[in-house]
Amino acid sequence: MPPTAIQPTKKNAVGVKVPRTMREQLLILLSRYREASIAVVAIVLVIYFQLGSDGGFLSPSFMSVVLRDTGRLGLIATAEVMLMITGEIDLSLSAIFSIAPYIMALLSVTYGVPLAVGAVIGVLIGILVGAINGIVTVRFKVPSLITTVGTLFFLQGIVVSIYNSQPIVAPVEQPFNAIFGQSLYQPTDALLSWHGVTAFTPFLWALLVVLVLALVLNRTTFGLHTIATGSNIIGAREIGVRTDRMKIYNFMIAGGCAAFAGIINTAQFTSADPQAGSPFLTLQAIAAAVIGGTSLLGGSGTVIGALIGAFVVASLNNGLVMIGAQATVSDIYLGAAIIAAMILSIQVDRLRTRRRV
Amino acid sequence: MNTQTIPPLAPDAPVVLEMTNISKSFGAVTALVDVSIRLRQGEVLALVGDNGAGKSTLIKILSGFHQPDTGTIVSQGKEVRFASPRDARAHGIETVYQDLALIGDLSVFHNMFLGREYHKRVLGLNLLDNRKMREQAQLYLDTLGISIPSVNSTVDLLSGGQRQCIAVARSIYSSPKILVLDEPLAALGVRESAHVLGLIQNLRQQRQVSVILIVHNYNQIFEVCDRINFLHSGEIALDASTADTSEEELIRIVKSGLGRKAIDAAAAQVRPGPA
Repeated sequence: MPPTAIQPTKKNAVGVKVPRTMREQLLILLSRYREASIAVVAIVLVIYFQLGSDGGFLSPSFMSVVLRDTGRLGLIATAEVMLMITGEIDLSLSAIFSIAPYIMALLSVTYGVPLAVGAVIGVLIGILVGAINGIVTVRFKVPSLITTVGTLFFLQGIVVSIYNSQPIVAPVEQPFNAIFGQSLYQPTDALLSWHGVTAFTPFLWALLVVLVLALVLNRTTFGLHTIATGSNIIGAREIGVRTDRMKIYNFMIAGGCAAFAGIINTAQFTSADPQAGSPFLTLQAIAAAVIGGTSLLGGSGTVIGALIGAFVVASLNNGLVMIGAQATVSDIYLGAAIIAAMILSIQVDRLRTRRRV
Repeated sequence: MNTQTIPPLAPDAPVVLEMTNISKSFGAVTALVDVSIRLRQGEVLALVGDNGAGKSTLIKILSGFHQPDTGTIVSQGKEVRFASPRDARAHGIETVYQDLALIGDLSVFHNMFLGREYHKRVLGLNLLDNRKMREQAQLYLDTLGISIPSVNSTVDLLSGGQRQCIAVARSIYSSPKILVLDEPLAALGVRESAHVLGLIQNLRQQRQVSVILIVHNYNQIFEVCDRINFLHSGEIALDASTADTSEEELIRIVKSGLGRKAIDAAAAQVRPGPA
């Protein structure tokens, strides 16, 4: 590369432009802090609903609904983000979401297995299904979109055939109830009372999982290799990253998260519904991941963004109803939001690469 | 072009690598037929040949990415079998591929240390020591004289030449015994090319590293290489020392490309390399 006439500082080395215009600086902010842009959207949405509902939106009882949905969706969205970073996707998560708590409740009702033990078994089943998804995808080179549609129908078929689609009443007791998912916040609760706090446990669990996975993704070899796998699979393999294993492990994480989300859901409703997770749930989670700033192209993604994205989706679902719109209207917004988020994400990437900001 | 004088290889330099009768097919496509190469310590071997001659297949076998159908690899006097790139690396063979095995979405310093990360224990957790990797990467690139805007920048955002320099720097970080470079100069400007060639010379002289170099630009061969192996249709058609042949002669042989016999006849005109 020819030497340039002026080389004032190291930062100004050849090929790299120092951003000057407002637009370029905005681009940097958007690309560097993807979570920030979705957080802004979330805050605007909260203000809008808060004003539209005369202050009802941010009340503890309504927030416990929104955050319950955020937790459930956020866990699955986070699971999808891990997979999307490796360049894969899992559409069977809703079926895992149904089958894990169903087996937990079934074991408890039929064999008297304690719920806590059943919950562990449920999560292990989720991890196992994830491993199967991963192995079929990696070893037999079936695209994960197809593999997981297969397991989706397979598991859904099993779970509805066990008791002819009947929900099982889960004998949920304290403290299991309080730890994993309490009934919703009641207007009579005090915010700092036991029930007042535990009404938010589903969200707190999701937050914990997201923080752990954010740490894993950004601060561990596992995370580094996960990103490498999705960014440049051939290159990563040449360097010696075990890309197949990375994919399988992330399928297992995703399965475990979905099973856990299902168990929380059942703890809350004290009932295991074989149709608790419709495929629509997975699609909403993918929407949350995409809105949160994860592209489907692999190599990058943010789990914190996914949780905020889940909050946006849950707010749209509940908030629009609250301010008097028809329940179905939220899907229109959601659809538009997904497409807008994807266009924005791809454009930001393109501009960023072209301008090298 | 000024031709540098290459200090002659010590006559008693031990053989560090011997690949014997390597064959490899991919389905109906035969990539390599009974190819044998040997490499001595501190030797720089040029591997030349047209596209599809089997150069890349050969080095991918050497680096453990492919396994040969037949043939043996002897490294440091011991027969070895590389099941994976990890295996080859454990035997001191580092490779920089044509398709640049860098991860575009990761920073320069993460790329430098991918697969050999530094860790620190925080509250019993084994976390990446990003600060140490950042410092080491900066220090290391500085000693090699490679200048990039920041070790924090994502590799995607660097120029082709910068990326190639990072890839070469990455591969020699672990002080390999054998360094394989697949077209290391393809995307480089004159100054950066000279820099990489200088790096190769240094490695060879100071650290006694043996280098296998795939190149298309023949004058670069004569600047740094001790010996040339010409691959044609999956076979070694010429094995000559650079001291015994010239650029013109080499180009004539490569251009003729009339198949094995013509090449053999041409090869017979130049003296064969040291047996």
